[in-house]
Amino acid sequence: MNTAAQPQLELRGVTKRFGGVGAVDDVTFQVEKGEILGVIGPNGAGKTTLLNCISGVYRVDGGDIRWEGRSIAGLPPHRIARLGIGRTFQIVRPFGSMTVRENAAVGALFGSSAARRGLKEAFEVADQVLQLVGLKAKADHPVSALTIPDRKRLEVARAVATRPQLLLLDEVMAGLNNVEIDEALEMVRAVHATGVTVLLIEHVMRVIVGICRRAIVLDFGHVLAEGEPEVVLRDERVIKAYLGERYAKRLRGERGQDSAS
Amino acid sequence: MIATAGSQRRWRRIFLVVGAIVAAYALLAPLSSLDAAQSAGIPLLTDKFWFRIATYVVMFVVLATAWNIIGGITGYAAFGNVAFFGIGAYTTGMLIAKAKWPFLVALPLAPVLAALFAALVGLPLLRLRGHYFAVASLGVGVAVGELVQNIDYNGQPVFGGASGLFLPIYAVGHRGLFFFYLMCGAAAVAIAVTWWVLRSRFGYGLIAIRENEDAAAVIGVNTTAYKVAAFALAAALTGLAGGIFSQWNVFINQDNTFPIEYNVQMILMALLGGTGTVFGPAAGAVLLQLLIQFLGGSLPISFDLPFVSSEARPIVAQVILGLLLVVVVIFVPRGVIDFFGGRTRLSLSYLRRSLRDTSL
Repeated sequence: MNTAAQPQLELRGVTKRFGGVGAVDDVTFQVEKGEILGVIGPNGAGKTTLLNCISGVYRVDGGDIRWEGRSIAGLPPHRIARLGIGRTFQIVRPFGSMTVRENAAVGALFGSSAARRGLKEAFEVADQVLQLVGLKAKADHPVSALTIPDRKRLEVARAVATRPQLLLLDEVMAGLNNVEIDEALEMVRAVHATGVTVLLIEHVMRVIVGICRRAIVLDFGHVLAEGEPEVVLRDERVIKAYLGERYAKRLRGERGQDSAS
Repeated sequence: MIATAGSQRRWRRIFLVVGAIVAAYALLAPLSSLDAAQSAGIPLLTDKFWFRIATYVVMFVVLATAWNIIGGITGYAAFGNVAFFGIGAYTTGMLIAKAKWPFLVALPLAPVLAALFAALVGLPLLRLRGHYFAVASLGVGVAVGELVQNIDYNGQPVFGGASGLFLPIYAVGHRGLFFFYLMCGAAAVAIAVTWWVLRSRFGYGLIAIRENEDAAAVIGVNTTAYKVAAFALAAALTGLAGGIFSQWNVFINQDNTFPIEYNVQMILMALLGGTGTVFGPAAGAVLLQLLIQFLGGSLPISFDLPFVSSEARPIVAQVILGLLLVVVVIFVPRGVIDFFGGRTRLSLSYLRRSLRDTSL
């Protein structure tokens, strides 16, 4: 195998069923080292399920997931984390009894086995990461004192502190207003700039167009489209999946008129 | 709420005074061995009865502190820890009574066997979360006691059966004092272990599991291994107390080594004192064990409860303990240790705030 062309993460026919329903059905795609890949799709398309499969929270029912050429399907979550795959949760899950700084430090204490540290260094890493995500000023606050956008930042900070090579972000911008989204975009760019590959699940189109060079559209557990965000979002199948058949037809009609005139 | 510097100093002083009294008692206890002290009849020191109660109090310091490791720090409400106490007691008891081992050689095996058993049952049990784990662990606690009493081999009870197990009396001068100090040593070990855990990577992993197990797993905490290790550590300390108890009490049976009420008591002590802290469970154990002895009428300073006959006393004691559990959980959710750190103090507004925090 040509190692230079080897993708960092590769999904081959990944399938996850709940009862008879295929929440993720035969999904195949690759993540290249150093990119920011967007994964979009309507509600219930299987985005979060896919992320749970990659991070080992769910065991896949079929297909294979390969990390730097090695199969990681079926490994428990902590093993996958130690390989260098970090993630956030859509609904934030901070360690409530700890301070902001401690939350980030726990990420640094565990996480990727290549970057494991002792207590003292872990807190140093935590300070660096909090600086990166813009939570430095609130380092000693209890989690309960944080606003929703700050909690989302903390979720990212804890994942970044594990020193991942690939970071899976699950809707870190959902529920934020426009100004907060801009700030969060800056944060993701800053994290990416440290050399981390990012796989971003998002609902907010602006985000995908803003920072992803490539996007994948999921619908009913299938990959519907893949390519540059601007191109993908104009794809008729994607519009149909998001807005329904009738809207897609109307749009097609309007476009037809545009080109005729 | 952040208290002023003045009240902070005041609480620290009170904490120091209470600590000094406890330490002084432990240090002055040997005076009872002096003839002069005996003839002077200094109360609390020369009284054998007091030594017994003091040893019980310290024993519960061990049990509550050990429970705190799995229940308080890791957040798994183990309701069957008494199984480890009983296993510790029977390990040491059997080795001394049947195998004729010397006590101090038999004692280290009590924590080892209790920890092994905890690891064995912990692997399947700790997959359960919330009340499922609580109920399953309670089941284990009850089952082990029944097994120990009822296992027969060739028609002979293996562990002494219903008539229990008698140990030879340990030949040492000042037995009461010896076992009191031994139990104090076990308590010191339990508290030191907790102190270490809370400052280690291991402890941060356990707290992460308590706060959110899925989040702990995806940052790389091997949750299964950590939970089993915490359970085994708690079991080892509990088993150590059991081992000391067996030789101290000389006689062991199902009733005194697997009492169901210990399960609730050690949890209540940890809650009362403050779960997840180093000294909270110990403080809760001292307070509550003295209260239990008082309500049970075994303290020399006890007086009659109004409207309660002496036969009804144990029942009333249970009712009071139950009520106390409810009040503590609702009004002092972080335990009384909260008042000793100097950050908060007991006030009406504290109780109001707690009520608001603990109600939905």
